Amino acid sequence: SCSRAKDVTMPAKLPVSFFSTSSPVVDLFRGQLDYAEQLRQDSEIVLYFFYAPWCGHSIAAREEIERVASRLSDQVLFVAVNCWWNQGKCRKQKHFFYFPVIHLYHRSFGPIEYKGPMSAVYIEKFVRRVMTPLLYISSRSKLLDFLSNYEPGVVGFFEFNASPQPPGYLTFFTSALHSLKKDYLGTIRFGVVTDKRVAEEISLVHSGSVYLHRHANTSLIYPKDIMNFTAENICKWALENREMLIRWLRPHGGKSLLLNNELKKGPALLIFIPYNPLEEIHPLLDEITKVALEYHKCNKSQAAEPALQHIGDPDSPAFDSSVPDAQVKFSETFPIAKYPCCNTVVLPQWHSISRTHNVCELCVNQTLGVKPNKVHVPHCNFLEIEAALDSFYLQEHTFFQVISNTIECSNFLSFYSPFSYYTACCRTVNRHFLSFISSEKTIFQTPKVAFSSHGKKDNTQFSIPHIEDRNCFIPDLNISSTNITGLSCRTNKTLNLYLLDSNLFWIYAERLGASRSTHLKEFAAIVDLKEEVHYVLDQNQSLVGPTLENFIKNFSVLYSPLKRHLVDDPSVHFPEERVVAEVTTNTFHETVFLSAKNVLLLYYAQWCGFCASLNHIFIQLARLLPPDSFTVARIDVTRNDLPWEFMTDRLPTILFFPHQRKEQSVKFPEDFSVNLPNLLKFILHHSSLSSSEPCTKECLHKESVLQQGHISHLEREIQKLRSEISALHQAHDQLEAQLSEARREEQRLQQQKHTLEKQHKTLQLHSDQLQATYDQKNQELLEMAEKLQELADASENLLKENALLRILVASRGGKLQSKDEIKEHLQSEQTLSEDDISLSTATAPLEEKRIDNIDTIETEHSSGNRTE
Amino acid sequence: AVRAPAWPGLSAPCLCRRERVRAMFYHAYEHYLESAFPYDELRPLTCDGQDTWGSFSLTLIDALDTLLILGNVSEFQRVVNVLQEGVDFDIDVNASVFETNIRVVGGLLSAHLLSRKAGLEVEAGWPCSGPLLRMAEEAARKLLPAFQTPTGMPYGTVNLLHGVNPGETPVTCTAGIGTFIVEFATLSHLTGDPVFEDVARKALKALWKNRSDIGLVGNHIDVITAKWVAQDAGIGAGVDSYFEYLVKGAILLQDKELMSMFLEYNKAIKNYTKFDDWYLWVQMYKGTVSMPVFQSLEAYWPGLQSLIGDVDNAMRTFLNYYTVWKQFGGLPEFYNIPQGYTVDKREGYPLRPELIESAMYLYRATRDPTLLELGRDAVESIEKISKVDCGFATV
Repeated sequence: SCSRAKDVTMPAKLPVSFFSTSSPVVDLFRGQLDYAEQLRQDSEIVLYFFYAPWCGHSIAAREEIERVASRLSDQVLFVAVNCWWNQGKCRKQKHFFYFPVIHLYHRSFGPIEYKGPMSAVYIEKFVRRVMTPLLYISSRSKLLDFLSNYEPGVVGFFEFNASPQPPGYLTFFTSALHSLKKDYLGTIRFGVVTDKRVAEEISLVHSGSVYLHRHANTSLIYPKDIMNFTAENICKWALENREMLIRWLRPHGGKSLLLNNELKKGPALLIFIPYNPLEEIHPLLDEITKVALEYHKCNKSQAAEPALQHIGDPDSPAFDSSVPDAQVKFSETFPIAKYPCCNTVVLPQWHSISRTHNVCELCVNQTLGVKPNKVHVPHCNFLEIEAALDSFYLQEHTFFQVISNTIECSNFLSFYSPFSYYTACCRTVNRHFLSFISSEKTIFQTPKVAFSSHGKKDNTQFSIPHIEDRNCFIPDLNISSTNITGLSCRTNKTLNLYLLDSNLFWIYAERLGASRSTHLKEFAAIVDLKEEVHYVLDQNQSLVGPTLENFIKNFSVLYSPLKRHLVDDPSVHFPEERVVAEVTTNTFHETVFLSAKNVLLLYYAQWCGFCASLNHIFIQLARLLPPDSFTVARIDVTRNDLPWEFMTDRLPTILFFPHQRKEQSVKFPEDFSVNLPNLLKFILHHSSLSSSEPCTKECLHKESVLQQGHISHLEREIQKLRSEISALHQAHDQLEAQLSEARREEQRLQQQKHTLEKQHKTLQLHSDQLQATYDQKNQELLEMAEKLQELADASENLLKENALLRILVASRGGKLQSKDEIKEHLQSEQTLSEDDISLSTATAPLEEKRIDNIDTIETEHSSGNRTE
Repeated sequence: AVRAPAWPGLSAPCLCRRERVRAMFYHAYEHYLESAFPYDELRPLTCDGQDTWGSFSLTLIDALDTLLILGNVSEFQRVVNVLQEGVDFDIDVNASVFETNIRVVGGLLSAHLLSRKAGLEVEAGWPCSGPLLRMAEEAARKLLPAFQTPTGMPYGTVNLLHGVNPGETPVTCTAGIGTFIVEFATLSHLTGDPVFEDVARKALKALWKNRSDIGLVGNHIDVITAKWVAQDAGIGAGVDSYFEYLVKGAILLQDKELMSMFLEYNKAIKNYTKFDDWYLWVQMYKGTVSMPVFQSLEAYWPGLQSLIGDVDNAMRTFLNYYTVWKQFGGLPEFYNIPQGYTVDKREGYPLRPELIESAMYLYRATRDPTLLELGRDAVESIEKISKVDCGFATV
């Protein structure tokens, strides 16, 4: 809107006292800050309460401060200062963003602002801690007490024998005061040890050393050589290195993301207990601390000796020596944990009196053989597990005999896929012997696995009960099946633990579903923000260590038996029949499903403006419809949780549940305007179907939609199989191709062989021929040799004759006649040797040369023959 | 004569506070009747009355529905009679179109619609006829001349007797243009005359058409030329009830068009003006921050958000505003967010109800006890700080 001017003014009224005069609190209602400073000199501990007289919080806190003051007035000075009065010093000097503000001073140290709850006990506790920031630890048992607390503890060792105050003690003392400034981030307790022997317990030798105790991690000693020994540094060091097993959550009511930030870290266990900080002992808190310690105790026990875990546990039954062996064997031989799809099945007892039963771990093993590459294998499908269970049931009897104490596995094929098979690893265990832990992962879960009921009761063949007859085997729910020790490191659903004071924050517990009627304000809930669920520890069970442990364990196991808690609006009462019935979580089923009426249900919320404007239409409608066959109801979905399938993401939403077909609920179409005629048409249309015909197009359509899910799953299955088939086909084709290739190769080889053979033959022939020619030649040569021999003989004869002739010549020198005769004879001899015509009147050396020549030719011939 | 409705199951401190609030109302109401009636408003410091928005005994009309909420039926009946006799709209008075609509027309319409519930005898034909409805219609008709502009956006001021004064400034604040649909549509539905709803819608559409490229509207616009005169865009003074009426109009009329307009604005507002759950002022064309202030009028926003289901954001913004309340015991008109202090000359708190209204809506949505704390704080600080002898004064 557009603003306007104004004229008359009047000064503010004079302040009046805020506290009564009889109060132990000094009330400086005119904001005399200077006087307040003066007062500080008089007392060792001073508490300032800065207030504004109009402020509701200051007014509420006034009473609490007075209560604290009346208890501590002899040791602490309480000063209240009006920091609003505009003439007062306080308003002029201080600039507060909220009221009241509480400042504390320990001598000159301060201010320490108190940021905790404005409740007397908390304030008093804080004041007391400011008075004695250091706890004196005199003995060993006190040290143990100090260290076993859930809140981190810092211990300083200072020997007081040498000087009146050992060096560093004052710094340590100041750091304790410093830590109080940060107290709202989490308490750190400071203690001091003066006895050397006590200090040795935590391996502190030198006076002036500071020790930070940690439960799950190794404890630390303040590194003096790295960081300066100052109060701030010690405090910072302790804050940074402390471990928080359990954290107090104290939302301050203003804008804060505390809860959101903590819950975002992961699932959180919120424990609500009534807490009085002034009390010396908190047995319940100690118990919770013990659980938390166990829960976080991982590295020591697990790393060193995993098998010792249960033996060391006094709660678990005595194990025989074979157990660790079996366990090791199990984890070695059956790496079942690799496959995501496993389910534990506990077979019913062999005989009802028998104290043994068989426990099987049923796993879906996909494509361990040939892996079709294109198939996308979903991580783990519920339907697959279901199918696995189905085939398991068919083979059920094979698993009934007492097997053995060790695990035996058998595989059986899935119904339709040649690639996947199921593995069932079974063993017989004693009834009270269900604790079974592998070092890596809990393989056998709690026996109370919730199966979807199939309604299979085909136990006629064997007189043993079916697996799913759950009533014949009711496992003792309190049997500890998993061990809490170090569970936080073994599960992937690690919980953060938080404490809330139910005196202050019970409203949160109520929002989470704590009953309002109970006077015992103890409550525990696990909130999983990511999964949008929360679980509630049954309030009928008292909140003690074991129940808490069980709660944690049940959350941590793979198939958690915890049920999502649905918060119900308890403020809805049913004083009389209303025109429009108000439905809550608890009455939803009864009103909507069990009633023999048509039900029209409006989802609305208090904030929803568009819902509120429909109210009159609904009232009119409810008056119009016959009340004996129609119910008009509404549900506030911000205060009433429903199972997911009945939730809506849009308001207002109108659902119609027709009589006798309640499961076929119809939603009023969003694009129709909500008015009486439309609603009536909608109702009449959908309710009239019931009597005349069981199912029309629309309902069929719905039916088909419902089936869609199943179909699509099957289709996926088929697709998977198809691709498997095609993979097979491919492999087949490949093989075929290879085969034909091989055949062709063979043929080729055959042909080669043939040609080779042929070649061989021709070669043979050739060699034969050559042999023949060789023989022939040889023959010829022989002949030649013979002839030559003859020739040689002849020439020898001739030589002889020649010699004779020479002799004759010599003897008969002059007889010409005889000479001519000899010449004629020689000529005739020459014609006889075929070879050489030129062999004329040659002399004897010439003849010899010729013979040599022929010899060489012969050798050449034979070598040539060989090379051929 | 005061009949307290029965509230079973409420605790004693709660009932005690209820009585305290009731006493506070009568403290103001009775002093108005005593010292200021028949003027529009009471001046609590001087103990007299003055006409501020016209001359229609405005406080009386405004207080009608509160009387019913407090359960004081007899006083309600008496006031209805007084108003019927005493209030005349045929007067030569320059009245704010916007204020006359929300206070006079709105007040009369709600009283008319509540009158049967209050046990008043209603005439035949109710709710489509009745003296209060006729008065509301008469008042509304006096405002219609303001809508006779080329753009359909109304002038800011109109003379009830003569219509728009010659020489009247054509500059109107955005809220002065877009804050009619709830009353005018109701009037059209009850009287059957569509003219009221038509002009209101036309004005809304004209604003919608003139939003900037980044989807924001400025603070003041010339209704003749449709030029933006003040280009600060935000959710506070000058614009506030435009957004409020888009949502409430959409709810009342189940109108998707109005709602989609708001959702578009909401997107732009979140985009450009929201910083750490505060809503700042930005230049409407560029989106640059022009004033990093929180105005007390902006405190309606969390309530509006809760109506559309954005409860988380609403709660966060509300808690921001609540810190300002905790700092001062009231909301200064302007609060400089970076400096964490009031803006000079804008420290005042004229007892605006926006933050308390938001707390009411949010409490209905969440039942968060923090919101009840604001209720307690509001009662304490208003009584401690602003109560004077004759009523409650602006501080």
